[in-house]
Amino acid sequence: MSDAIIWVIMIPLLGSLISLTWSRYASFIAITSNMLALAASIIIVRQVYQSGPFIHQLGSWQTGLGISLRADALSSILLVMSMSVISAATFYASTYFTDAVKRARFWPLWLMLVVALNALLLSGDLFNLYVTLELLGLSAIALTALSDNRAALQAAIRYLSIGLLGSLVFLAGVALVYTGYGTLDLATLSNVVQASPLSQVAFGLMTAGLLIKSALFPLHFWLPSAHASAPAPVSAALSALVVKVAVYILLRLWIDVFDPVLTPFSAMLLGMLGAIAVIWGSWQALQAQRLKLMAAYSTVAQIGYLFIFLPLIVALPDGPLKDAAYTALLLMALTHGFAKSAFFLSAGVIQQYCGHDRIAELGGTARALPLTIFVIALSGVALIGLPPSGSFLGKWHLISSSLHAGQWWWVPVIAAGSILATAYVFRILGHAFAPGEGVDQVLKWGREEIPALILALLATLILGFGSAGLWDFVSQHNGFPGG
Amino acid sequence: MIEILWFIFDIMLVLLLLALAWTTCSTQDVMRAVTLFIAMGLLLAVIWARLKAPDLALAEAVIGAGISGALLLSAIKDYPSNLMVSHRSPVMRGMINIFTIALTILMSWAVWHGIEMSDGKRLSEQVASQLSISGVSNPVTAVLLNFRAYDTLLELAVVLTAVLTVLILNEKRADHKVISPLLQGMTRWLVPLLVITSGYLLWVGAHAPGGAFQAGAMLAAAMILLQLAYPSIHQGFNLYLLRLLLVIGILIFVLVGLWMMLLNDDFLAYSPAWAGSLILIIETAATLSIATALTLAYLGGRPTGWENGLKKSASHKDSHTDNGRVK
Repeated sequence: MSDAIIWVIMIPLLGSLISLTWSRYASFIAITSNMLALAASIIIVRQVYQSGPFIHQLGSWQTGLGISLRADALSSILLVMSMSVISAATFYASTYFTDAVKRARFWPLWLMLVVALNALLLSGDLFNLYVTLELLGLSAIALTALSDNRAALQAAIRYLSIGLLGSLVFLAGVALVYTGYGTLDLATLSNVVQASPLSQVAFGLMTAGLLIKSALFPLHFWLPSAHASAPAPVSAALSALVVKVAVYILLRLWIDVFDPVLTPFSAMLLGMLGAIAVIWGSWQALQAQRLKLMAAYSTVAQIGYLFIFLPLIVALPDGPLKDAAYTALLLMALTHGFAKSAFFLSAGVIQQYCGHDRIAELGGTARALPLTIFVIALSGVALIGLPPSGSFLGKWHLISSSLHAGQWWWVPVIAAGSILATAYVFRILGHAFAPGEGVDQVLKWGREEIPALILALLATLILGFGSAGLWDFVSQHNGFPGG
Repeated sequence: MIEILWFIFDIMLVLLLLALAWTTCSTQDVMRAVTLFIAMGLLLAVIWARLKAPDLALAEAVIGAGISGALLLSAIKDYPSNLMVSHRSPVMRGMINIFTIALTILMSWAVWHGIEMSDGKRLSEQVASQLSISGVSNPVTAVLLNFRAYDTLLELAVVLTAVLTVLILNEKRADHKVISPLLQGMTRWLVPLLVITSGYLLWVGAHAPGGAFQAGAMLAAAMILLQLAYPSIHQGFNLYLLRLLLVIGILIFVLVGLWMMLLNDDFLAYSPAWAGSLILIIETAATLSIATALTLAYLGGRPTGWENGLKKSASHKDSHTDNGRVK
């Protein structure tokens, strides 16, 4: 039953086509296809859990000639996370867009974004990854432009040009790899790649392209405006998923495929940039005047944490310590995915009820929208890394890995980042609990608040208490089969 | 003797290409840049032909120079005639130039090493050995529609997404006011020829250079010409049919893929006996979708009445606007 790997991509694709032709039933079609795709993603992770990583050979051609789809622990867990976030955002979006025309424009593109995310996470082929990156970038840009005000359009145009630059640089690297090694299959490449001028330049180009896409400092400049001005459900997907899957490809290439090429120095360089991103992003988040802008800068910081793991994974010897660091990175990514999407959906609720998202004018919202402010506090717990959230465990392992690897200098960075995160989270809560007359009506259990609540609970309680099995799962079932 | 002549010709092509590329990038006038870009596309097509890659030459001529040129020309029509390409300072432009040149040198150096590393065959032997059961005899079509058909499927999704972006951003551009009878006369001759050529390219793709992308672009060229010569021609066209034409390429592709998964276990695993016909069916549908997409992109936005049905059905229950419930 490796068919689920096809369905998880084809169901949203068919959904996108049908919702385009039957615009009137688009919401129903989108919700149905998302539920089906979520079910397919759960089947995939179950299958990896029971019988290990597996391949689907498209067209039945042998590896190399055809394209293969692959699922292992890393990709299947990220797939389930991505589909859960998407499903929650889908439910939220069905209440967010009240205008039928806008809704009809939103759904086909939204489902295209889902296709791109799923196809990217499951791809085992370098050129195919480029195609999925293109689809992802383009649908993300279109969705950003959907909130048609001037700021959103400008952000979308900037996102488009920088995104194209990133894809083209990545494509140049892919072309070089094919020139040198005559194959695009990742598993095959991982066996043949050796350090040479060609592989170094190709690796450098692909890394540079992905750094743009994953918005690592100082290439993050396009992110805050795009993520802050997109419609709320779109911002949730952009911050939680679109940036993160670029990090996923980077991790695949760095750890699984190009490890003969990479040097401790380059890993250290990315770690340093990650550290700067943690401080800079958190500092900017603290300065931000608007809720969504704050969340966007917080994403810059949280992506930074993921990059601090790279020099540690490279430095640690193969074995339990390395696996622990690798899994902690995954856990950080998962927690941030759930927490940040919950945050953006809540910001959307606040924006809908207050008509703005200016932090200084949030007074009274805790009384009027208690559940939404509770969700913001919960996701704040996860962003800071307080127990019992998943990122508490993640940061704990990050610190212990730094000490094991003898790279103590990351510890103060993590501490400073956490303090700044505490500051920016409590700044919001302080304003929200202050007296004020921002909202007239009191909302106890709004339908639009539920998706965010579920995501926030996933980030804090479920991942915090339930992640013990993750370590075994990742260390046993990671890596590509049949290389 | 003839070889020396070819050699001189090739050198001239390369120098001309570099010169054109440089002037395209450095000119400050948008109109000039677009014109030079179209010329560069045509030159590139000749170079691909010289490199014995006729499929690429065809695609570059039809899509790179032809349709892209038409899209760019129609796009700059929206802007003031004295629009400058770039407002960047000379320092910034200098830095971009240095960066680009450095990247070019780095990549050339890497390619040089790569040519030494590889035996030059790469996947071509595998393609050749499986060509007989791929359903077509043109290796490029075999790769695009069979061996790596999944990439092509996702590429079609990219094209659709791009067009959907155009459609959400704008209404269709205003029609031309003045139409020359010369254009109308020429269009009457040209459009049937273009349609036939498009059909020929689609059919011939199975065993010679051609295929859905080139055929679709050719068909779109015919539609664009019609639109230019007879601006009111699209009025009364069934918009529901238009939506269907837009998605049919991907729809047929996915359905064939799933059907084959039912029969042969793997997605898009054609049964060899039917492969040729299945590829032709997919390509025909893809041609229609690509042509529709490119034509819509040329129109620059939603055709009149694109979202009409929605507004009617929505008006009674949705009294809110955009981001809704402000208090």
